[in-house]
Amino acid sequence: MASRGDATRVLLRIAFRNLGASPVRTAILGAIVLVGSLIVVVGSSVLDSIDRGMRTSIQGSLGGHVQVYDADSEGTLELYGGLRGESLLEPIEDFARVKAVLAKVPNVRQVVPMGIDQAMVATGTTFDAALERLREDVRRMEAGDRGPERLRLYAAHVAHVRRMIGLLGEDLEAARAIADLESREIKSRMDEFDALRRAGSDEFWAGLERDRYAGLEFLENRVAPVAMENAFTFIRYVGTDVEAFFRAFPLAEVNEGERIPPGRRGILVGKQFAEEWLKLKNARRLDQIKDARDRRGKEIAEEEELQRWVRDNRNGIKEILLQLDPVRAEEVAAALRAALHVEGTEGLEPLLQRLFAATDRDFDEKYRIFYEVVAPRIRLYKINVGDVITVKAPSKSGYFSSVNVKVYGFLQFKGIEKSGIAGMMSVMDLMSFRDLYGYLTKEKSEEIRRLKETMAAREVDREGAEAELFGSPAPVQGETRSAAIDERALVRSAGERAAGAAELGSRVYSQDEIESGVALNAALILEDSRPRAIRRTMSDVRAAIAANGLGLKVVDWQEASGMVGQFVTLLRVVLFAAVVIFFAIALVVINNAMVMATLQRVKEIGTMRAIGAQRRFVVVMLLVEIAAVGLAFGLAGAALGGVVVGIIRAAGGIPAVTDLLYFVFSGPALFPTLGRMPVAISLVIVLAVAILSALYPAIIAMKVTPVEAMATED
Amino acid sequence: MAIVSVQNVSKDYMLGKTVVPAVRDVSLDVGEGEFLSIAGPSGSGKTTLLNLVGCVDTPTSGTVVVAGQDTAKLSERALTDLRLRTIGFIFQSFNLVSVLSVFQNVEFPLLLQGVLSKPERRRRVLDLLEAVGLSDHTRHRPSELSGGQRQRVAIARALVTRPKLVLADEPTANLDSQTGANIIDLMRDMNRRDGTTFIFSTHDPKVMSHANAIVRIADGRIAAREAVTAPGGA
Repeated sequence: MASRGDATRVLLRIAFRNLGASPVRTAILGAIVLVGSLIVVVGSSVLDSIDRGMRTSIQGSLGGHVQVYDADSEGTLELYGGLRGESLLEPIEDFARVKAVLAKVPNVRQVVPMGIDQAMVATGTTFDAALERLREDVRRMEAGDRGPERLRLYAAHVAHVRRMIGLLGEDLEAARAIADLESREIKSRMDEFDALRRAGSDEFWAGLERDRYAGLEFLENRVAPVAMENAFTFIRYVGTDVEAFFRAFPLAEVNEGERIPPGRRGILVGKQFAEEWLKLKNARRLDQIKDARDRRGKEIAEEEELQRWVRDNRNGIKEILLQLDPVRAEEVAAALRAALHVEGTEGLEPLLQRLFAATDRDFDEKYRIFYEVVAPRIRLYKINVGDVITVKAPSKSGYFSSVNVKVYGFLQFKGIEKSGIAGMMSVMDLMSFRDLYGYLTKEKSEEIRRLKETMAAREVDREGAEAELFGSPAPVQGETRSAAIDERALVRSAGERAAGAAELGSRVYSQDEIESGVALNAALILEDSRPRAIRRTMSDVRAAIAANGLGLKVVDWQEASGMVGQFVTLLRVVLFAAVVIFFAIALVVINNAMVMATLQRVKEIGTMRAIGAQRRFVVVMLLVEIAAVGLAFGLAGAALGGVVVGIIRAAGGIPAVTDLLYFVFSGPALFPTLGRMPVAISLVIVLAVAILSALYPAIIAMKVTPVEAMATED
Repeated sequence: MAIVSVQNVSKDYMLGKTVVPAVRDVSLDVGEGEFLSIAGPSGSGKTTLLNLVGCVDTPTSGTVVVAGQDTAKLSERALTDLRLRTIGFIFQSFNLVSVLSVFQNVEFPLLLQGVLSKPERRRRVLDLLEAVGLSDHTRHRPSELSGGQRQRVAIARALVTRPKLVLADEPTANLDSQTGANIIDLMRDMNRRDGTTFIFSTHDPKVMSHANAIVRIADGRIAAREAVTAPGGA
């Protein structure tokens, strides 16, 4: 007995032979299907990989799996910062209570307190550094060290400071020449001119020899503030339980130095932040040129930007010259003459000019010389491991709060070391965060209590108390967080409370002290972090929050990351739109081609109907034909997609040309992986579109009557 | 016993808003084993009448009974089935499936029927191809054959299901007269061999002279029905 198989076989035979009979049509339809399936396969492979990369970057650096913050907050949590600065979050008053409740929720492994904010850091100036060396000489000389080496250094340091004062004077004179002498700005700075003029005079330096400390004081108090250009910088930091932080975020690691010891105050400065904002500009530009050449294959000769960096470096050597006193300057010059093979006694300035005038031919050599010869003899970063820095921020009360913290090391995130998105972030202890934020730690409240007692119950409210006690610089103009910043006051106060800082710096806080108090948000780390588990735990967390009246908002890592997290969603929408548009066009083209093919075959279809083929037969015949195209070329497209993905991987991945890409790729390049899902999805889409586009022609075919077979040709 | 019984059948076509009658009140019985020619000039209604008999078209009025079945009472599917199992078709322009070989074209109706096993089909197709003299051309495509050869393939295809009735609309119109005569001879042989009823239309007197009966049509009506006493010649 014959079976359905025979009819199917003839259907397939006719379908394939029809495809073969019009190769051009088949090729066009095939190409469309192939390209469509290729787009879907490659696109979704890339997207999935980006999704994975972003997951790694966000979850491993700051996001964790779930974040909670106060539900009454004006802003939304944006871990990596938003367009308009930090978002305004209401504080979580008692983190310990939140932790106690949330740690009990199933699947929650860890609850990490966080407080993200921006602050200013006094970085000190080159002038400060030079004065510091001079002060050291004076101290030793006063202590009795009058050896020739000491005197030589002292002379060099005096010359260095005098030279800097000379240069500052030139700058100011230049500014005066173009400024309106009657303007208020100039008048207010008149005493600066006077101070500089006096410090530049021979009498002053003669006087210094008589009373060195008095002279130094004048230089520090009257002259140094004039030189405070670039004396502070902004940092973005997260105040946290440092031990918990490193346990929670596997990507976080100390690049240089060590972790903040448990319970201590301290800061780990973001490595990438240090590279971009704290590093000597010339060194930074050399790094950028090297990066562009090595990683992006650019050449100085061809790239305008690289040429500009070289030019800026030649103009920027003053910054290096200013750092060097005559003794060191000659040391560097001698080393440079040897390294650059220069005969004679060429001075440091032309030598540096020579060093920074790099071309593609000698760049690598000069880069090496810079780091081997010049870098060890200058201050490469404005902040170094071991420094105690003053961090200052407008507190909740509107006054400036400041804390001195020791820099224990530099922080980076594995795999995304070069990303500015995560790498700008510094990590600070939670106690210091609370001081800056303006909330009182227990110990401070205690101090206030004692103070109140001794001062016989003088009424001071909390915010006032803070101003009473700490820093208490005169309230800066206006009492809002956006208060104008008095740069000079900031710099001057840098050294003021060093004694208190030393005491606070050596204090070890208990876990209880760390956890009892304010945080802005908390990251939850889960045992099972698959998307479904995260969703389930989020609803458990919401229930626990509601049951305990904590009033917290719960968001997943992607939402918590702010704009960054939207990136993949955006890409998905773009890819989806592209695919929809492509397949809409494909639908029309395939439909047209099949309508044409059907109309050409009306007589043949009529004949088949006349000799006994049912309607279903001709419809299926057409669908089989288009489905065969869809399946064959869809598979070919998917296979080609696999090849393309393989080629991309072999060629070193998709390079992360922007910082955002670097972050979401979780590394310098994206290596897409071919998933089974994209292939399956592409085949389903391609087949669905193919069959959909064959529906109208199928209807036409169905309506062909056997009478058509009888119609005579010509 | 009539294999085809047409009673008072009319068929009108709409040409814009005008009604064009193609067949007017025709009644005709065709007995089993007949070799009947429908003769008449172009536009006389021959093709329409054949379409009605072949169940590929439905009458405006009247009844058509084929192999004992009143076609007006059959669904579209049932009509298609009736065509598949009872009727064979031969077309003026051969109407072979261009992408199939000679063998596959002939086999096609058997596959649609799905009754015979593969060896049985093969046997029957090859027998018929031998009978129409195309044993050497089984693998050829229609485009590689002459007109006469193609029409032989069409005859084999029409007969392969062993239908009771074969309808042929101007089977020789696209052939030269010698080839046309050969084709008619072949059809006549088949009619004699298996007793299959043949109804074919033609306007060629030489061709119609091979029939054992001629129905003459003019203006959609049957003008005459005459028996041919001495078939052959031409």
